Amino acid sequence: MQSKTKRTSALLLASALAVSLTACGSNSGSNAGSGGGSSASSGSGGKVTIELAISKSSQDSAFVNEDLLKKFEDQTNIHVNLQLLPAEQTTTVLQTKLAVGDTPDLVQYNLAGADSDLNLSRNFEILDNEAWTSRILNKDVLSADGHVYSFHVSQDTGMQGVVYNKDIFKELGLSIPKNYDEFLAVCEKIKAKGITPIFMPFKDAWATNIWPSAALADYASKSDPNLWQDLNSGKRKWSDVPELETIVNQQYDLFKKGYTNADVLSDSYDMAVGKFLDKEVAMMFMGDWLIQDVVNKDSNMHLGLFPIPYADNVKMGASPMGGQLFIPKKSKHMAEAKKFLDFLASQEVAQQIVNEQKYVSNFNDVKSPELPEYKQEIVDNYITPKNTVTTMEAYMLVDYTEMYRDYQDVYAGSKSAKEAIAAWDKKFQQLMKDKGIAGFN
Amino acid sequence: MMKITKRLYSYYMVWPALLIYCIFFVLPAVIGLGYSFTDWRLDRATLHFNGWDNFRTIFTDDTLMLALKNTLIFAVVTVVGKNVIGIALAVALNAKLKSRNALRAIYYAPSILSIMVISIVFTPMLRADGVINKVLDFVGLHSWNQSWLTDPSIVILTVCAVSIWQSAGFQMAIYLAGLQSISKEYYEAATIDGAGGWKSFMNITLPLLLPAININVMLTLIGGLKVFSEVFVLTGGGPGNASQVVGTIILRSFGEGSWGLGTAINTLLFVAVTIISIPLLMFMRRKEVAE
Repeated sequence: MQSKTKRTSALLLASALAVSLTACGSNSGSNAGSGGGSSASSGSGGKVTIELAISKSSQDSAFVNEDLLKKFEDQTNIHVNLQLLPAEQTTTVLQTKLAVGDTPDLVQYNLAGADSDLNLSRNFEILDNEAWTSRILNKDVLSADGHVYSFHVSQDTGMQGVVYNKDIFKELGLSIPKNYDEFLAVCEKIKAKGITPIFMPFKDAWATNIWPSAALADYASKSDPNLWQDLNSGKRKWSDVPELETIVNQQYDLFKKGYTNADVLSDSYDMAVGKFLDKEVAMMFMGDWLIQDVVNKDSNMHLGLFPIPYADNVKMGASPMGGQLFIPKKSKHMAEAKKFLDFLASQEVAQQIVNEQKYVSNFNDVKSPELPEYKQEIVDNYITPKNTVTTMEAYMLVDYTEMYRDYQDVYAGSKSAKEAIAAWDKKFQQLMKDKGIAGFN
Repeated sequence: MMKITKRLYSYYMVWPALLIYCIFFVLPAVIGLGYSFTDWRLDRATLHFNGWDNFRTIFTDDTLMLALKNTLIFAVVTVVGKNVIGIALAVALNAKLKSRNALRAIYYAPSILSIMVISIVFTPMLRADGVINKVLDFVGLHSWNQSWLTDPSIVILTVCAVSIWQSAGFQMAIYLAGLQSISKEYYEAATIDGAGGWKSFMNITLPLLLPAININVMLTLIGGLKVFSEVFVLTGGGPGNASQVVGTIILRSFGEGSWGLGTAINTLLFVAVTIISIPLLMFMRRKEVAE
């Protein structure tokens, strides 16, 4: 009798342990809404509080500067309350807030992500007819599907290409390679000097994507204008684009030929600044934000950026911009939220932000400040002559991190470029189907 | 046994705790079960029941099947590794050594370290040009060199090894407690009967240690099946998806917005843990002997 009770209770205990498992997992989805959820409320004295949701990692954003918010409050009697969202859960929390109607009045997010993660057209207000919109120089960086959905004072989206050490190039008498063959020659010469030509921090899967993403976007803009539309409507598969395989193989060949760090899958992005400072490496496929990080550590470093040399005459890759402000359709204080954008867009405030942040201004009546040397070069050579192309990320409707992982497999030796693209195709089909996009079933 | 004590507290006292347990554990689990049969996604306004679709997806997706396989490998390897090493350490440190208290503390220490710290220490050591390969070179075992964390064919075993290193000391502590409850008289009797060390280990120590073995096997098995943090911090499931386990795949599914699918994988994990652990528990219970 006693042993039976013991056995039963042991069974119960075991199932309790097992149950606690699932409880853990399913909670993670639903508890997200409780974070920072004080709802907007109007005070009695006419003072209105609007809620601005922003990732904790962006809390230094120029738009939520304390002095600026105070100035806005003094002028308009509108208080902006910040909802700081935990960085790694920003997407989930925002998705939940939008889904359950606990909507903030303003959201800071990135446009491409808002399009793929937050259902831009369903959840956010179109801003085509705002007064400030007419003063915008480059509407593309704020738009999706031909409508302005977001606000920013900068048009510099962060450029992606090959970050290179100018001093090493000068020392070895090298010039910027204009195509893949020239690039190989440059690598060979740098390697002969005992310097690692290219740093590939591919432990971070996303870093595998800088070359393919910019190269494919350039290819599409020149020779295949329907590419993104076809991919996103299921008309073509990624495997049906032979150029993508070539592009992925080009990058892989650089590794095979020994032009990179030896252990690419063990090295991570956070090592990049040190590698450049120590002059261990000469180049890396990355965004120009890396240059700023290096220069911040040592202002004597001379780094520059050139486009991904996968073919002739390549345009510079422009990242889809981040850090824009959006107004949800369900905002409870739409008018006040718009007033906040008007305030930021006013010539005086915009000029102040642009000066402080060294932004490339996106307003026709706001002057860009003096930029760091590398940035000025990019502006003169690529941004002003409109010699840029928006990278692949801007066109993606679903989460594409799995694509990076497939690229990683190429470097781990477990997949060929062709197999990696085929694997991504399968995943892409499923994600698009789950999202209910026409053409996938 | 005669009933001599009167119960001080009534069984009703269990209700508040039971209620909280039900609301925060049982209810979400049951709701989760329901959600795993829907196409629940965050970017969708309404959700529909889609029958077994999610489960069909799981069993036709190469990555998900790989994750299931890796989870089973991890569970089996770590159950064996942690318990064999745990028993060996316990027997060794149950002997009368001068340094045994210090050694016990040292072997136990890794299990109180955060897995984050362990990952920061081990990641550089496990690089192709890291300390472990250098040591192998030094003792003339260059051919044993591996890309421990970046070779898809061995990466999950590397994670197993780190996990065993971390937790064998914890298993040791439980086994030590078990060993100390075994009466010395058995060993004296065995010695008189002429049994050697190995024989008395097999015929006295192991059978009488079975309750501790049961506990440890169950703990390590359930822990192994729901492994997440070791993989997440050491490899992030990579390179590619080579070291994905069910736990990391669930995170990924939620990240992709596929909430229904993520919940379905979770349900599957729950069922798997139940199916594997309960019969095993019953089997091992039967083997236990009374002292």
